[in-house]
This record gives sequence, C-alpha cells and structure tokens, in this order.
Amino acid sequence: MSNTSPTRPEADGSVSLVGITKTFGNATAVDHIDLEVRSGEFISLLGPSGCGKTTLLRMIAGFEQPDEGDILVGGASVVDLPPHRRPVNTVFQSYALFPHMTVAENVAYGLRQRRVPKDEIARRVQDSLALAQMVDFADRKPTTLSGGQQQRVALARALVNRPKVLLLDEPMSALDRKLREEMQIELKLLQRELGITFIFVTHDQAEALSMSDRVVVMEKGAVQQLGTTEEVYRDPANAFVAGFIGKQNFIDATVSSPDALTTADGSIPLHRLPQGVTSGSSVRAAVRAEVVQVSAQRPNGPALQGTLAGISFLGDSIQYVVLTASGLELIARVSPDRAEHLSTGDTVWCSWDASELRVFEAAA
Amino acid sequence: MARRKVNGYAAIGFPTWAYVVFFFIVPLALVLWYSFGYKPDLFTAHANDILSFDRYAEALDATFVGTFWNTLRIGVIGTLLCLIIALPFAYWLAVKMNPKWRPLALALVLVPFWTNFLVRTLGWQIVLSPRGFLSDALQNLGIIHGRLDILYTQSAVQLGVVYNYLPLMILPLYVAIDRAGRPLREASADLGANRWKTLFTVTLPLAVPGIASGCLLVFIPLMGDYITASVLGGAQGNMIGQLVASQFNTAQNWALGSAMAVLLMVFTAAAVIVFGAAGLIIRSLVRRSRRVQLQGGAA
Ligand SMILES: Nc1ncnc2c1ncn2[C@@H]1O[C@H](COP(=O)(O)OP(=O)(O)OP(=O)(O)O)[C@@H](O)[C@H]1O
Ligand SMILES: [Mg+2]
Repeated sequence: MSNTSPTRPEADGSVSLVGITKTFGNATAVDHIDLEVRSGEFISLLGPSGCGKTTLLRMIAGFEQPDEGDILVGGASVVDLPPHRRPVNTVFQSYALFPHMTVAENVAYGLRQRRVPKDEIARRVQDSLALAQMVDFADRKPTTLSGGQQQRVALARALVNRPKVLLLDEPMSALDRKLREEMQIELKLLQRELGITFIFVTHDQAEALSMSDRVVVMEKGAVQQLGTTEEVYRDPANAFVAGFIGKQNFIDATVSSPDALTTADGSIPLHRLPQGVTSGSSVRAAVRAEVVQVSAQRPNGPALQGTLAGISFLGDSIQYVVLTASGLELIARVSPDRAEHLSTGDTVWCSWDASELRVFEAAA
Repeated sequence: MARRKVNGYAAIGFPTWAYVVFFFIVPLALVLWYSFGYKPDLFTAHANDILSFDRYAEALDATFVGTFWNTLRIGVIGTLLCLIIALPFAYWLAVKMNPKWRPLALALVLVPFWTNFLVRTLGWQIVLSPRGFLSDALQNLGIIHGRLDILYTQSAVQLGVVYNYLPLMILPLYVAIDRAGRPLREASADLGANRWKTLFTVTLPLAVPGIASGCLLVFIPLMGDYITASVLGGAQGNMIGQLVASQFNTAQNWALGSAMAVLLMVFTAAAVIVFGAAGLIIRSLVRRSRRVQLQGGAA
C-alpha cells in the first residue's frame, strides 16, 4: 500500500511513454507514441478531435491497457498497476462527479481513501474549493450545478490530492472566457508552486501556448511535433502542425531556385529551403496571418496582388481577406493602430518578411 | 381557460386513471366492504345487511397469527436471499459482461417468466421429489445419505419463492447498477479506492433506489403468494395466502376471506414501513459519516 501514500512535491513526477500503441477493433487510436515528460513540467497535448488524446491519458491513468509499450511514472513501470495504485489523478472530460455526494464530499473522497486525518481533510478541501472558487457551493449536490461549476469541482477534487502527476482532459472547456483566463493563471501558478507534473489535453491552441512549457501536437494517434511553445509556434515541423497552431495561409508552389518559389500569382522570395527539397519540386508554403501586411501601395519588396474581399474586426486585430487573381485566399491579421484605411473591393498588396515563410514538402 | 386545460389533461390521462379505478380501487373497495359483512348460511358466500368488525376478530385467531409470522419469515428471508443472489449477478451483468451479450443474458433471465407460474413451480416438485434426479445425483455424490427429504417442507417453499421472484430483483438492480456507470467507477479508482471501496461507496449507494424497488417487487407479491406454498409446502409450509384462498374457495366465506385479505395488506404495509424506516435511518447514518465539516464554514 506504500505507493498510495501521500506524495510529496519533491517526489519524481516524470512520465515516460515508450512505444505506446492502442487499437480498438481495427482502428488505431494511439500509434507508437514515445514521450518523455519531465518532473514538474506542464505539457499540453494538442490535436483535433479523435486523435487519441483521451485514450493516451486513460492509458497513463490505467483505464486502458496499451497493446504495446511501457509507461513509467517516476522511473517505475506502472502498466501492471491497477488505477487506484497509480500515483496520478485525473480531471475527466465528462467530470464524473459522484451525484450522491455533496461538492465537499466529492472533493474529500480521494483524501478519505488515504486515511488523511479529519481536520486535515477539512482544511485541504476548503483550500481546494477556494482555489476553484466553489466554497459557497460546498454543500450542494453536483447535479444542481452548471457545467462550468461542475468542471471546477472536478478540478478541485483532483488537485486536493496533490498527486505526482495530474492528467487534465480539457478541464476548462465549459468555462466562460473570463473565468477560464483566471483559472489558467491560478492553475499555472499552483502547478509551479506544487511542482506537480501536468499533462493537459486541450483543443484550444491559445490555452496550450499560454500555459505550457512544452506542447505535443498529435494527429491520428501519432506525435507530429514535440517542442516548446516557442518552437512549435515559430518553427512548425510540418504543414499539419503549422495549420493547427495559429491562423495559417497555405500557398502551393514550386521551387524555382534555392531562394525563390513560383506560385500562380508570381514569384515569392525564400529564406531557406528545408532539407531534402530540391529545385523543381512542389511544395506547400505557409505564412501566419499575423505577419502578413496589407497595403494599397505596392511595397518595395516582392508582394502578391489581390482584391480585398472582406474586412472584419476581431477585437485586438483587424482581419483582411484578400483574393488573388488565381483564386488564392490570403488572410491577414493586422493590429488596428497599424492598419491602413482600406475598403472592400480595393486592389491591395500582401507582403511579409521572407524569414516568416515556412516551406514543407507537398503532401504526396 | 384554466379549467378547460385541467379537463384536457384528465382526458389525456384517461386510460391510466381508468385502469387504476377499475382494476385497483374498485376491487379493493369491494374487498373492504365485504370484510364488514358476514356469511348468512351454508349456501351463501356473503351478506352485507349487518355491518360489523366481527370478521376481523374472527380472523385474528392463533392459526392466522402463527401463519402470518411464518409468512413474514419466508418473505423476509426470501427477499434477502433474492438480494444476495441478485446483487453479484446484476453487478456482473452490468459491469463485467461484454455489452454485446447483455440483451441475450437479460432475455435468459426472463425465460422462466414465459412459462406459467404454476407450471414452473410444479417443475420443482419433480426436481425435489425424494425419487427425483436431484435426490439420486446428491446420493451418488455422497452429499446426502438416504433420499432427499425436502419436498413439502418450509425449505422447499423458501427455495420455490426465491426461484419464482428472483428475476423481479435482478432487473431493477441491473438497471440501477448500469446507471451508476463506468465513468464514476473509474473516477473512484482514480482517487485511490479499490474495487470493494468503490462498490460500497459509489456503486451500491447509487443503486439504492433499485435495491429498494427490487425488494418491494419481491416482498409484496411474495407475502400474498399461495401457489408456491400449496405446491411445494404441503401441510407444513403454510402461507397466509392459502388461508385467504381457502376462505374464498373452500369455505365459501367471502366476508372472513376479505377480512383476512385486508389484514394481510395492512400487516404487509406495516412491515414495509418498518423496513423502510430502518433503511432511512441507515442512510442518514451513512450520510453523517461522510459529511465534511469545513473549518471556515461556507462564507
Ligand atoms: N472504447 C473505445 N472503443 C472504440 N473506439 C474508441 C474507444 N475509445 C476511443 N476510441 C476511438 O479512438 C480514437 C481516439 O479517441 P479519443 O477519445 O482518444 O480522442 P480525443 O483525441 O480525446 O478526442 P476529443 O478531442 O474529441 O476528446 C477515436 O477514433 C475513437 O473513436
Ligand atoms: Mg478526448
């Protein structure tokens, strides 16, 4: 029973996944994933719906058995341990609150299993509910709470145990924006302070980028890129990652020379070619909407010409949609104080710094 | 306006309340009415021109009271046995079994219900008879010495009622355990509870409504059962339902039979209330034991 004793913050919360594979029938949900999560790290799993994020978490928690591979927590293999013996806690995507218990009883449940003294339970439940801003609801039943309130209880119920590793499956998807931003900051501070390893699943790339130390971008059960938020944002490994992080413009082109691409709308300069791409091959170039400039005058450097098809105000930026002669749609997001006075139907020029352009091999 | 609406609802609900009135309230009222009457002569079943409580005094003799306690014991033990057998079975059905096979398993549970109650009870007469195959098998295995001596005893009745009412316990338990659901069991395990802890703190508490309805579905009809006792109990295994039936059929004393039937209902209801109250007390004790008293209080 020693592995279920309360874990200290300094305990090793590293997680290693070694060649993890899981299939359901003939569908592969997780495909040979290798991942090293450092102790105390905040790592996010980011990817489209159905890419295997929940399945991966469930294998770490012990609810699914991997078909192949090994899972180590704190350096020790846990694949043979039942869920209740693993030093991890989960915030479930579906909350899974106990309907017959009050909010406080739900939060106390994990501490009860470990025979924590009564007054310590009371204190920790109180603290945890305060963090989730749910103290006023301590004696309510979960069924009488809103979705966001239930989600906060689920968070409090897991955090109160101070596990080595916390698995969070979209723990803030039901919160409104203001509350979510508050909770993001609180959660991040708390994670730092307690040194808990967070494995955080989210659909929301902004959330992943703002909270994580590193991000894992997944697709179809495989890791597409693992890197710091900076790396994933600035230097996406492939077109899929590029498309998933930020708003990207994709331009199909051919490499005409080592420093230029030919597109249907003219030539655009190139900073560097990725390895293995030679002159004459078809590529897919990507440029983020935030770095595209739109102007009525032709800029000095190379630029693509088009017609301004739409303008929308996004709050912190203005979004332009430009259609080129070949039918390519370019999206630009410009901060309001740097935007020129333009109206739809104008002929405009889109340009960007050549170093912002990423080139990927065209999908076969 | 409002009145028209109420009438509208009453009309929509017609089949339901008509059913309740014609098949429940009217027969019940008749039984109650007859119980105040008497049997005027040998060839008349009842008369109601003089009303009295005399039939109740007559009904409450030593035989009736003794048989009632007997019936209550069979009923309580039978309900508990059904619960003990049905709980693991329903758990297995709802939790362990591959969902693909569940409809088939549920259908198999219901198969005995497709045969007549009397016929399947008679089947047990064959099984339990001293010269039956069970007797032979047990003797051959050396488990018993001499012939099986269980038919026409209380044990046979006990066995028969458990067999006859078991599906009525399994079905509501299955539904209740199934509804508690896998996500909650997983959450419990995730928080450090082993299987037994999860069973006793999550699955069973959530199944309480199902357990209660299962117990009611078994206990109440069991208390009024007379077929099982007549077929398997012989002279020793009398149940109260047989006394009531014999007043209506053999003695042709409807007034006394009605009084007995009313008493049976009242006593059964009283037993249910006592057990229900005990259940509520246990529930409040369990709730108190898991209450969390926050120090700051809810501010
Ligand atoms: N128990 C199961 N049986 C069969 N297939 C499953 C099961 N669980 C998951 N899958 C399949 O595995 C794949 C990955 O599912 P998973 O729930 O891990 O996705 P996800 O990335 O968490 O998606 P979302 O963002 O929508 O929550 C999906 O195609 C899903 O249909
Ligand atoms: Mg998921």
